[in-house]
Amino acid sequence: MSTRHQKLERHSIAFTLMILVVASIGGIVEIAPLFTIENTVEKVEGMRPYTPLEQAGRDIYVREGCYACHSQMIRTLRSDVDRYGAYSLAAESMFDHPFQWGSKRTGPDLARIGGKYSDAWHVAHLKAPRELVPGSVMPGYAFLATQRLKAERLPSLLNALAKTGVPYSGEHIEQAAQDAYRQADEEANDEDLLIERYGENVNVRDFDGDPNLVSEMDALVSYLQMMGTLVADDDRPGEKVLQ
Amino acid sequence: MAIERDKITGRNTTGHEWDGIKELDTPIPGSVKWSYGITIIIAIALIALYPAFPYFSGFTPGLLGYSSRAIVEQQVADAASERAERDKVLMASDINDLVTDSAVKEKYEAAAAILYRDNCAVCHQPDLQGKTGFPNLTDGHWLWSGNVEEIETTILYGINSGNDDERIAEMLDFGKQQMLERPEIKDVIEYIRSISGQEHNIKMSDRGDEIFTENCESCHGEQGVGGLESGAPSLVDSAWIYGSDGGALFKSIWSGRVGQMPAWEGRLSKADIRKLALYVKWQSHAGSQ
Repeated sequence: MSTRHQKLERHSIAFTLMILVVASIGGIVEIAPLFTIENTVEKVEGMRPYTPLEQAGRDIYVREGCYACHSQMIRTLRSDVDRYGAYSLAAESMFDHPFQWGSKRTGPDLARIGGKYSDAWHVAHLKAPRELVPGSVMPGYAFLATQRLKAERLPSLLNALAKTGVPYSGEHIEQAAQDAYRQADEEANDEDLLIERYGENVNVRDFDGDPNLVSEMDALVSYLQMMGTLVADDDRPGEKVLQ
Repeated sequence: MAIERDKITGRNTTGHEWDGIKELDTPIPGSVKWSYGITIIIAIALIALYPAFPYFSGFTPGLLGYSSRAIVEQQVADAASERAERDKVLMASDINDLVTDSAVKEKYEAAAAILYRDNCAVCHQPDLQGKTGFPNLTDGHWLWSGNVEEIETTILYGINSGNDDERIAEMLDFGKQQMLERPEIKDVIEYIRSISGQEHNIKMSDRGDEIFTENCESCHGEQGVGGLESGAPSLVDSAWIYGSDGGALFKSIWSGRVGQMPAWEGRLSKADIRKLALYVKWQSHAGSQ
């Protein structure tokens, strides 16, 4: 029976240092590469930070717990791609804080819901899901249509996101509340300023069909209608899926 | 400190003693030691074979060249070509011939029903009878003629969908744009109720007739029979997308209507869209050509 370890065990400081070295190997191997994980996110055309209205909609999505039943990640499985469309790219959730990935679904995946149905359908369905989809277990969210969107909160929301690395500039943050109205209020002016800041692929219209109020419904539907539409099929890396 | 040999197990003790209690110096069983070593070797092998670690300009791809994306793209492409082969007849023939072909109907109706249920039923409803705001597809009243070719075009490109080849139809907001005064709108409503065979006020509807001729006929046709090329619905039948009562009609005329049908080009394959067009036509019992 070897007794060499007894010598090591009797030099307490040296032994502590040796334990530290051995334990840190695990850390170096498992954690250090993660500092470069951003390099594995492919660069694709079209991704842009969410507009203030979409971001507000995203916050409502998280607040109401939509993620408990809906995922936003089309996996690289044939069944997923057949049902929901092209698989999700890492870049497509690069501005998500927190991301909405998952594979536990009670309702369908929403990663490519944008443009699949009309605004009017989304509004009617959110108000009373079972009116349109008999047998649905989704709760109704009719109150969103009457709740005013608190746009005054948006600059500080964008500011917080800018600190986590979302590329919002001072101008984006300063104009956040006005930009939300520019997107959802048909009577607002200077929509071109919003387009200039966020690009051509922004939906500008009254989403909830109530021109008198920029509501939380406007924000949520604008978010849903944007989802999965930013990266055009032609800009995806790899082969095209649908022919 | 005295290491002694334990008589029962044949092992040495560690040499420590606490109140007369001594400890055997039994090594880790060989099987445990070996499995530990093997798991480490397997881990290193997996790291070498499969994509594993991110680094400064990407990630280690692994020796096998495994990519879940390549696999799924291959599977989807294989399935697509298999389906294309199976649906060759569908895409090679004129859709107007297919719609009357009972063999085609027998072959595709069940599959088309599933496609319809998955993609269309949330708006047009499982029985195709629609809901307020979402047109009924079974009543024989069509906005774009009801020809199966036209139905296919509508599904492909949508209505007010933002697609490059979309159909465009808009009911103007006559009230908001101050093209009509509130009493004039009320008169027109009575006129519309008269031509669609509903209860109405005769005096008001007589006045509304003239207003209708001046403002509405260019789209809705003479006497409101509808314009099949413009997507303006007939106002003389019993089919109403947004309702036929005074309130719904007032809202339509005051703030306009811009119904949306999404474009399915790109989301569904051309053959699947064709199946849906045929299905809709097959199910619309009265279907006018």
